[in-house]
Amino acid sequence: MIADFQEKYSNRHQIAGQWKKDGKKVFGYFCGYVPEELISAAGIIPVRVLGSLDTVSLADAHLQTFICAFARSCLDQGLKGVYDYLDGIVISKTCDITRKMLGIWAKNINIPFTAFIGAPSKRTESARDCLTEEFRDLRSKLEEFTGKKIDDDSINRSIEIYNNSRQLLNELYEMKKADNPPLSGSEFYQIVKTGFVTPKEEYNEMLSALKAKLASSKPSGDGKVRLMVSGSTFEDVNVLKMIEDVGGNVVADDLCIGSRYFRDLTQPASDPIRALADRYQMRITCPCKHPSDERLYRLIEEVKEYRVQGVISIVQKYCDTHLFEYPYMRDMLQKNDIPFLYLETEDRMGEEGQFKTRVQAFLEMMG
Amino acid sequence: MSEKKSAKAKRLKTAGKLGKLMEDYYTESAVVKAEKKPVAWLTSVAPVEVCYALDVFPLYPENYATMCSARKLSAEFCAEAEAKGFSPDLCSYALNSFGSIYLDKGPFMGKGLPEPDMLIATEHACLSMAKWWEVLARHYNVPLYVVDAALPIDEEVTSYQVKYFADQLRELVAFVEEHSGNKFDMDRFKEVLGYSDEASKLFTEVADLRKTIPSPVTPVEIFTNMFPLVTLAGKRESTEFYREFRDEIKALAEKKVPAVPNEKYRLLWDLFPVWYNLRLFSYMEEKGGVVVADVYATAFGGRIDISRPFEGLAERYVANPILTSGVPNLTELYKRLVKEFSVDGVVFHSNRSCRMASMGQYDIKQGIFDDLGVPGAIFETDFIDPRTYSDEQVKDTLDSLFEILEARK
Repeated sequence: MIADFQEKYSNRHQIAGQWKKDGKKVFGYFCGYVPEELISAAGIIPVRVLGSLDTVSLADAHLQTFICAFARSCLDQGLKGVYDYLDGIVISKTCDITRKMLGIWAKNINIPFTAFIGAPSKRTESARDCLTEEFRDLRSKLEEFTGKKIDDDSINRSIEIYNNSRQLLNELYEMKKADNPPLSGSEFYQIVKTGFVTPKEEYNEMLSALKAKLASSKPSGDGKVRLMVSGSTFEDVNVLKMIEDVGGNVVADDLCIGSRYFRDLTQPASDPIRALADRYQMRITCPCKHPSDERLYRLIEEVKEYRVQGVISIVQKYCDTHLFEYPYMRDMLQKNDIPFLYLETEDRMGEEGQFKTRVQAFLEMMG
Repeated sequence: MSEKKSAKAKRLKTAGKLGKLMEDYYTESAVVKAEKKPVAWLTSVAPVEVCYALDVFPLYPENYATMCSARKLSAEFCAEAEAKGFSPDLCSYALNSFGSIYLDKGPFMGKGLPEPDMLIATEHACLSMAKWWEVLARHYNVPLYVVDAALPIDEEVTSYQVKYFADQLRELVAFVEEHSGNKFDMDRFKEVLGYSDEASKLFTEVADLRKTIPSPVTPVEIFTNMFPLVTLAGKRESTEFYREFRDEIKALAEKKVPAVPNEKYRLLWDLFPVWYNLRLFSYMEEKGGVVVADVYATAFGGRIDISRPFEGLAERYVANPILTSGVPNLTELYKRLVKEFSVDGVVFHSNRSCRMASMGQYDIKQGIFDDLGVPGAIFETDFIDPRTYSDEQVKDTLDSLFEILEARK
């Protein structure tokens, strides 16, 4: 069952190539602040641009060594033609690096459509008004690109599909509260990642089938130390497998490619664009946004809810916003007597081997 | 900004005045603090005009960092911040600021900056500023207002983006009123905006006078004279200073007095100076290379439509071409500067502390070369932390650019 998710993810570029042959349009988006619902309502399949463990060769001519491995790997994949099937890319203002990526992609990779959402950071009403206008602009640009109107009904339908998807992920996530969670950390995050590159209707069916199956399955992960992983994105779920191999299990997360993506649903409203703007502006924050304390308060709450015994922070080297918050997070966890391990990733093949001894020592320390 | 003592800076009558302005400013900050008047810490490109209009004394940890660096204190401060758990990969302006606070040390009277009563940040120049100010707010336990921006890239700023910023400027006024106890007065605000706009206009005129061949002003004079533009925007003294500076440079330009005796190659500089080694400019000048254009100094200015005070100020801050441009528009902007300032070569300072500003330099350099045939060179350092600086490597890079330029003459 998990193998299906794995396979779809591994073959994602071939699958997308096939969509193109079937006459479909495909857009890439760079993070969880891009309203996929709108892209999907325009009849375009949105896929998240993610890095890879391939050795970077072409991106070095465009990016200094102090740019994070994620941006570097994505660009390298783009330059190598891996994303040639994309008809467009959409980027939202989150980190400065992602924002500046747009121009480097636009200059060096042939992409017919690009759009940037100048998203605000704050969660005030005035910020939500502003994001509403940003989304209206995106809607017009998409309409112009496809030559077709995007009516409110199609946006509402899209919102419903995405809400279902996020709801199903929340239900699976909820199952991880159990003593012996039916899904291991590495399995769960594989499932989430597959969702980034699979049309949501198809993905929802996969999730529903999985949920039904899990209800009757024997739980896995017996007797393992319950852990939370915090960070942004990392390419290699093998890191999570390694954690399992040495006696831990990731039962909760504070990740850009995890619960921060699916936690919040869109509340229906008469104006679907406004509903989306409210959802994206009020969703659990990325450290790029201000104020970002709420993320850390929720992290502490979730440690309790999921009976987490220790937190492992996996931070992308050179990720300024996460790095700025690290000492505060460390102090907050210490104050709450929560054991904490900090790992800095550069997304290199085999990196999990270097982390292994540190994770082992961390688990031993917790006894 | 330490080079006021150098022979080059003393070339100008206004150089002494700059020193006096700086000294008065920091002396006043201590007096203000002692009298328990309100002090705010601001990020650069923050609307300081609101502080001046409300009699709140503004201090700038970033500008302060450049001075710590010039006095060779930054390495110690950054190391102290790292010992507290901040990554050495973070911006050294921020690390310098944390270290100075933890050690309570600094270039003025041996102590750190006077403590803030309130904190004001923008994040459209870079996100790190808001994150840095959040750390300060927790450390000092004082109120923080972040002026957020919905910012485009390579597109025109929209009316709703201006509105969002302007709405927050009004909120900022209420915030500063609340935490200072002072009352906002629109006429006073407009007067401050007038001075700020005028200072910026005058400074840009000086920057433009560098189109004259040979250039009438050195890059060190430009970069050190940015100080009032950043910290004193909206003060009458600052505007008067820029008028004198403009007049002095204009007279030199008219008489074609060269700022550097043997100007051979005219250079465009991107972006930050190396604050602990402004002598790099002299090194280039010895070889006939004079920086005649940059986008750093003027990035702090911009005109203000005073008839719409809040929207006008918002436009000035948000519609800043440096902050709203990615590789495509920056390449066009630089190409325009190359033509207008008769530039022979471009020097890029890839600053490991400012990923945001440095990202894209490789593509921009290539773009300028492909379209105009003007060569460039990129060297990498940190702008205030000298710990990884290699003088030899930097000079090698500059030398190879001069070799190319020499071969073309």
